[in-house]
Amino acid sequence: MMIFFKKTCFLLVLQFIALGFCNVQAHTTGSEITYLQTDRTTYITGETVFYKLYVLDAKTKKCSAVSKVGYVLIRPANLNPVLKIRIKLDAGLANGSIVLPDTLASGVYQIVAFTSQLKNSNEQHLFHKEIVIANRFDKELNYKLINSDTTENNLSRQSGAAPEITTDKQVYGQREKVKASLGKTNSKATVAVSVYEESPVLLPGQSIVKALNELQPAPIGKQIYDGSLPESSGKILRGRVIDTETGKTIPSAMVFLSCIDSVPNLQYTVTNSNGIFQLLLSDYYNGKELFLTIDDMPEDKHWKIEVEDEFNLSEKWRPALIPNNGNSKEFIVKSQNIVYINKSYQLNTDLNEELIPDQKPILPWFYYCPVQTLLPSDFVPLDDFPEIAVELLPMVRINKHNGKYKVEIINASTYLINDRGPAIFLDGVFIDDVSKIIGLGSERIKKIELVGTERVFGNLVFQGVISITSKSTEIANTIPLSNSLRLKNTRINNSKSFVAVHPDAIQDKTTPYFKQLLYWNPDLKSTGTGSTDFEFYTSDNPGRFIIKAEGITEDGIPFSATSSIQVDNQLNAPTK
Amino acid sequence: MKHYLYILFLFFSISINAQPNVTTGISEVDSVFSPKLTGSTFIAKRYNGNQYFNENWKESDILLSNGVMVYGKQLKYNGLLDELIWLNPSNYARFKLDKLSISDFWFKNIQDKPIHFKRINPDQASVHPSYIFVETLTEGRVSLYIQQRISIVGSENIYENGKLYIIDVIEPRPLYYIKLPSNRYVTMIKIRRNSFLKLFPEQKKTIIKLLNKNHLNFNSESNIIKIIDLINKEIFS
Repeated sequence: MMIFFKKTCFLLVLQFIALGFCNVQAHTTGSEITYLQTDRTTYITGETVFYKLYVLDAKTKKCSAVSKVGYVLIRPANLNPVLKIRIKLDAGLANGSIVLPDTLASGVYQIVAFTSQLKNSNEQHLFHKEIVIANRFDKELNYKLINSDTTENNLSRQSGAAPEITTDKQVYGQREKVKASLGKTNSKATVAVSVYEESPVLLPGQSIVKALNELQPAPIGKQIYDGSLPESSGKILRGRVIDTETGKTIPSAMVFLSCIDSVPNLQYTVTNSNGIFQLLLSDYYNGKELFLTIDDMPEDKHWKIEVEDEFNLSEKWRPALIPNNGNSKEFIVKSQNIVYINKSYQLNTDLNEELIPDQKPILPWFYYCPVQTLLPSDFVPLDDFPEIAVELLPMVRINKHNGKYKVEIINASTYLINDRGPAIFLDGVFIDDVSKIIGLGSERIKKIELVGTERVFGNLVFQGVISITSKSTEIANTIPLSNSLRLKNTRINNSKSFVAVHPDAIQDKTTPYFKQLLYWNPDLKSTGTGSTDFEFYTSDNPGRFIIKAEGITEDGIPFSATSSIQVDNQLNAPTK
Repeated sequence: MKHYLYILFLFFSISINAQPNVTTGISEVDSVFSPKLTGSTFIAKRYNGNQYFNENWKESDILLSNGVMVYGKQLKYNGLLDELIWLNPSNYARFKLDKLSISDFWFKNIQDKPIHFKRINPDQASVHPSYIFVETLTEGRVSLYIQQRISIVGSENIYENGKLYIIDVIEPRPLYYIKLPSNRYVTMIKIRRNSFLKLFPEQKKTIIKLLNKNHLNFNSESNIIKIIDLINKEIFS
């Protein structure tokens, strides 16, 4: 009996340990960390920031399969972000470029990279790094730098088990080919390599190894349990419906979404018990203006839609700044001159247009059935829509009661009128107010499409469909009602890739060829069986250039390697 | 025995508790953002005979024409109208789904494997496509489909509650569609040996040899499927 009791106790203890381990696993897996590698840390406005974004599982450090959308913003100290970018992630990785506008003031900027899952969990866990941007017209250069003891020397980032970077020589002439090689990695790896002129501007920074080792996994987002879902299928538009009088959120309110298109389109959702709604925005909505409206709002109520700003961070970046000591001014002035020369000679050929893969977007069409089409231009001009309905649309009835218009469709099968009115679209958008179409006459309407039978869309049933296509997109000129909202959906960053220009491609030998970024490859593949070769060319710009490689193996082991070369303007003997 | 039970219980507990939270999140994403079916209200007319391929509502998956899968919908295929009928569980209303919005659908739990239907346009030469739903029997360079057609074969008078009604009599009239390597569809009410061989004039002798060698005839649907599979494997591979 005693033996049996002991065994039982032992097995129970074993089970509790196992269950505890499982809970740790379950809570850790799914928590993400991000790292953003940039080609350089010092830029002049008008230049391009090339980046590679890693979204990794916090525990395994392997590429995360959860989030499919990444967010990057650039913000100056104490101010709102100046650039906001939405990035499509492919198995936790993305690379692209950001053009810095000429309107940016000189100073230190912070790049913040995150996913919605990370942001919803804890903003302290978002990745950030600092860069210096100098305005190319700024001659004073009185910008401030960060007062920090954690600035790293460029060459101090060689990490323990990192592969070495070797070059065929140490000193090169101008416009000379450089053959470089990244040593063997432990296993297959994706590596981003940049070769850039060493900058004397010191900034706090961490290599991928240190960053990933020091970044604490964010606890699983509390809001996920409150109904906030990870962006595993695409961008999610989150918002809430609130009563403007009481300030309370409204549960079970129906929110419609549509956008301008030649075809009626609709998506709807219902707010949860906290009054929060979520709408999945497929690529179809990329860069489009979104029209949101609350359906069937009681007449005596005043509800409104509030949408979450996916880039909004609760606190501004407030670093301790000190005046720059002037050591970096010479370098910045040189960089400004190089940008000026390249702009003058139109030598920005490093950028190659990279189109986003043409994926078939999921179209949220309202119907796929035959429709009755009417072109008002085929008939005598009519002044407004009620007149068109009377003369040309016998199945449509328009009534005016207490100053409000009501549109009805007589069912083509039953010849009855249903309580639930028809779905009315103007230029593809589900309209929140019938009066928006009342004033449209023959001269402003291009086409009217009519479905006279009861239509179902998910759980919604409409009496029929009236879809009006105007000649000059009238919906864009309408003012949304208080229960509606119009907002612009950010476009996915249409990145451009870096192309190393062969100096021989410049026909006129007198054309200056100055580069501070000699090479950027965000997706160098290491097979894990041997070294990986890459090559690039030096330019007419002499100086010390850093070769920096950062990556992560398929086993989730980050590595970083740095080397340098010297480009000398005395050795002008290019190798052909 | 007790130890085995304990260990079994231990593994069971672990496997239940080890479900990562994210998986729950992702499946929730799928369910929350599942695409909406579009269609129109369906009012069933009375017939003498069964107008459906499956008399009872069956759980089915649908591949929409935009490439999105919709899972677990209660469907019936109406062979008389050649339409897919959906039972909306939220209001128990029946809706005729827009044919153009559906690419494929699978009835589950009718046979040991899902029954696959797809939308095809057999009259490809026509300017106006006429889409039909067909059951997929086998697919390859040569494919065999069957349209589970139900046709009106007559009408009869019935006397109910003191009133006289005329109702149509309906019966299954399946129609076979053979898709040739040239992507042309051939329609047959019954597939016979001679008519089948005429579809492949160049391969006729080889097919006859194959039929003789494998002792296959055109007596049953399963045999015809075997013959087409064999032709795909031996001749058009």
